[in-house]
Amino acid sequence: MSLTTRDKIIETRAVTKRFGGRKSLFKPATSVSAVNGVSLDIKRGETFSIVGESGCGKSTLARLLVRLLTPSDGAVLYDGNDISALSEQEMRHLRKDLQFIFQDPFSSLNPRMSVGALIEEPMKVHTTLSRAERRQKVAELLNRVGLRPAFANRYPHEFSGGQRQRIGIARALASGPKVIVGDEPVSALDVSVQAQVINLLEDLKSEFDLTLILIAHDLAVIRHMSDRVAVMYLGEIVELAPNDALFDKPLHPYTQALMRAIPIASPHGRSMKAALSGDVPSPLDPPSGCRFHPRCPHATDLCSQEKPAPATIAGDRTVACHHWEKIADADQSPVQEPPRSPNAEKRFALFRTRSQQQEPTTATRP
Amino acid sequence: MPTEAPSSAPVLEVQDLSLRFKGAPANIVDGLSFAVRPGETLCIVGESGCGKSVTALSLMGLLPKGVARVMSGTATFGGQDLLALPQRALADLRGDRISMIFQEPMTSLNPSYRIGDQIAEIVLRHRPVSRAEARARAQEMLERVKIPAASSRLDDYPHELSGGMRQRVMIAMALANDPVLLIADEPTTALDVTIQAQIIDLIEDLQKESGTALIMITHDLGVVAEIADRVCVMYAGRAVEDGPVSAIFDDPQHPYTIGLMSSVPSVGPRSGKLATIGGMVPTIDNMPNGCRFSPRCPFAGARCDSVPPLVELGPAHEAACHYAPLESAFAEAAG
Repeated sequence: MSLTTRDKIIETRAVTKRFGGRKSLFKPATSVSAVNGVSLDIKRGETFSIVGESGCGKSTLARLLVRLLTPSDGAVLYDGNDISALSEQEMRHLRKDLQFIFQDPFSSLNPRMSVGALIEEPMKVHTTLSRAERRQKVAELLNRVGLRPAFANRYPHEFSGGQRQRIGIARALASGPKVIVGDEPVSALDVSVQAQVINLLEDLKSEFDLTLILIAHDLAVIRHMSDRVAVMYLGEIVELAPNDALFDKPLHPYTQALMRAIPIASPHGRSMKAALSGDVPSPLDPPSGCRFHPRCPHATDLCSQEKPAPATIAGDRTVACHHWEKIADADQSPVQEPPRSPNAEKRFALFRTRSQQQEPTTATRP
Repeated sequence: MPTEAPSSAPVLEVQDLSLRFKGAPANIVDGLSFAVRPGETLCIVGESGCGKSVTALSLMGLLPKGVARVMSGTATFGGQDLLALPQRALADLRGDRISMIFQEPMTSLNPSYRIGDQIAEIVLRHRPVSRAEARARAQEMLERVKIPAASSRLDDYPHELSGGMRQRVMIAMALANDPVLLIADEPTTALDVTIQAQIIDLIEDLQKESGTALIMITHDLGVVAEIADRVCVMYAGRAVEDGPVSAIFDDPQHPYTIGLMSSVPSVGPRSGKLATIGGMVPTIDNMPNGCRFSPRCPFAGARCDSVPPLVELGPAHEAACHYAPLESAFAEAAG
């Protein structure tokens, strides 16, 4: 038992978050279950990703995992201890371990604080380092995320989106965390900068022994970075599987539709299919039974009546669908990328070799 | 797939377009040329700040006066130079023969008018029709963009629609007068993937039906591979490479194109760390004199101090790099 708790760094048990719901004289209380009865385990040291479309509750779930939101029902455990009912005072000690990187590097940094002060702040709260030691550590962190230590005296508006995201990462690292949650940490960035930040996050994860929880809508980013992936739809997890297994053979019809819709960056790839019609229904009035049934091509009467329980299947996977066995045909992976042409391959290799020879200026290593 | 015979005359031909913001020391768009033919889809690809959106706005005559101006160039459309037309004449073209779809459907629809009226307004502005006819056209357009129960949706306000539905309304407006040229600026960037797939499908279908030429501005190489016939890759205001979509993906020549493609994570099995392009896009105050990509380019050498011209390297495929093809200039590392 001790071993299993040691493996799991964060667990949720039927965690639910409802928003709204104040009732008035004339209206019954209406509330949205942004996250509805989600149970999952996050293993120490893994990169766990949560994917889904806007409004599926992935950001809410991420905030619940590190108690930036208090659950309405259910429990969240960190290192085996229930943190869902801790007071703010008690949570403050845990904040040291649980850090967050936000999507928008333009609004998540206080514009009136210098970069140095921003990165130093968590150390003031969480450590007993002296002023000089903190300064020293700020310089080290800046250097580590690929920024010049002299930037400590500058202000966030002086930096580009990618650089600000690096500042956000340095700040998240400052308290010496064990878990970092990135809520769409690269989706506001341009492709070339996105790759830099992805590589940085991966390096830091292994260097600081972090557990990384990644929220994203970009399936390519997820495929590249994750160990395990949870797919959410309307506040519930419909499928959870190891990365390769999920992409090779998605079992839930929603996951399958999602993957068929990804455009493949090759003119010889399969063309994307709009497998789903319509929009995500309002979470104010979620469909009965399986929440996906109104958009599901395989739905039957059973699906509108009965909510499918998550079935645990071989290979550490769960899927919440009444019909997953029937629809799991021998379909090829929906995300096969055709091989690159020899010319492209050759020049990509040349680009890689040449860039490694010339260490880029912004990513100086300590 | 190339649809029309390549010999047909271009719908729009832009030559040597340069734009500059007021007080800036360099051009934000510098010597850009491209052409698009009937039924063809041209994708303009590039990252933020490369000048792709300003280019579109300048063609539509929508650059704010006193903020940015055209330094040089022509944009020939139907025998006229769009850049030299007076605002009145441009207003007659916009929404009629040239239309544009923007990224953010919420801010480009008027929140206080019903969507049916907004579509009808465009028809009334350009066609000698009655209100009833315009409204009928609005309903027909909503049906064409596959909005369910179109007749009852005519009286909806934009806030009553989802993001995907709003983008459909934008497309209905843009196509209401059967334009010969449609410019779409990141039309699916704000949408979820399943909705993006629906919208791209819709644009492709409608284009096939109508033979409209499409200029699609995007940063997403997946969307490019899906929809483009031709691709123009822009970096810091200049076209660095252009060609047929298969040439761009199978035979990329410019180091920026190569770097961009290899820094996109693949949805296939992981193959090691991502390649990156070091540094970042130069700011307008800091534009290099020669090749604008050279400060970030792993292949940069002495020749890059002069501006590289676009050189033809394959059929209708050009790249602006002194050292292209790279494997012959850097043979020592190629093995």
